Amino acid sequence: MGLAQEFTKGLWKELPPFRLVLGLCPTLAVTTAAENGIGMGLATTFVLVCSNVLVSLLRKVIPGKVRIAAFIVIIASFVVIVELLMQAYFYSLYQVLGIFIPLIVVNCIILGRAEAFASKNGVMPSIMDGLGIGLGFTISLGFLGAFREILGGGTIFGHHIFWSGFEPMAFILKPPGAFVCLGLILGLMNIISSRKA
Amino acid sequence: MKDIIKMVVVLGLICLVAGLALAGVRQVTLEPIEYQRIKNVMEPSVKAVLSGYDNDPIKDRFSMPAGKDKKGRDVSKTVFPAKKGGKLMAVALDGSGKGFNGAIGVMVGIMPDGKMTGISIMSHSDTPGIGSRVAEPVFTDQFKKKTVDDPTSVDGVSGASYSTKGVFAAVQAAAKFYKSNQKELLAKAGQ
Repeated sequence: MGLAQEFTKGLWKELPPFRLVLGLCPTLAVTTAAENGIGMGLATTFVLVCSNVLVSLLRKVIPGKVRIAAFIVIIASFVVIVELLMQAYFYSLYQVLGIFIPLIVVNCIILGRAEAFASKNGVMPSIMDGLGIGLGFTISLGFLGAFREILGGGTIFGHHIFWSGFEPMAFILKPPGAFVCLGLILGLMNIISSRKA
Repeated sequence: MKDIIKMVVVLGLICLVAGLALAGVRQVTLEPIEYQRIKNVMEPSVKAVLSGYDNDPIKDRFSMPAGKDKKGRDVSKTVFPAKKGGKLMAVALDGSGKGFNGAIGVMVGIMPDGKMTGISIMSHSDTPGIGSRVAEPVFTDQFKKKTVDDPTSVDGVSGASYSTKGVFAAVQAAAKFYKSNQKELLAKAGQ
């Protein structure tokens, strides 16, 4: 596969939350607003690209038996860096995402890409892979967040978009609403991809 | 054997580099984080307990030594003075107490004569709807006009005795700190 394909596969064919149904914990938990979803997605993308680069660079040095431990150390370090930077410069986002930032460490997408892709490929493909998957994840979370924010709160990026008498469906912002929205989107994507095939 | 040594060395080196990198980032972000914490967590509470001042309590804040923690390191407490026309009106300082589910942080406003101007809950992680009621004005307003000698002779929140005790402990901690450092604190705040 060429570099462009490594990038674009993350946008549809291997779109993490909707096609691979991976990384659902942050997908369901933080997407109460579009902004939160995108913030979470960008934080994850940063960690994903950085860890992919390092894992790819060190792939010949790390002994096979301790590779998972080494990957986790690398990933966890970047997560703490993101957490500190976010606390220092994007405090309000940090307050919203809270516990889900440290939980990026155990996000199966990142460990999955390190294990399945970066540990077997060169640096450039690994960067493209990380960017593609990360962007796909960000778009997915942003979309799901926007969907829930519009229906559940009647706003988008904090701006009101409906008429004054609009009664938002607060249920959508609760955890069960997250599952319902995710299910609807998954079904929709299945219809589209089965038409394509 | 050779394999094992290689494993240990490589993993050890990765951990070492990671540790150094994290220490570096921590150093760089220490000050911005402190600033953000004061701005986002403390400032609203400081403004809630102080009133009628014409200075900037956040800018005029100063630290006081507050003993040592369990590990023997020095701890300092940040004090926010409110002044009008250069005259000290009140100071705000925080205290912390153990609530139902973790620490409760409380900002307490105290006038130079020892009367309290009020309290404001900065942070808590108690049950929403039950323990969280200690943050409501019905409860917090009772602390106005109490003195540091008897800061918590108020009605508790029924059904939330742990949270109430946590707030009491936090207010008492702040009052105790004020009483035991009163002279030095007022001298510093009056400048």
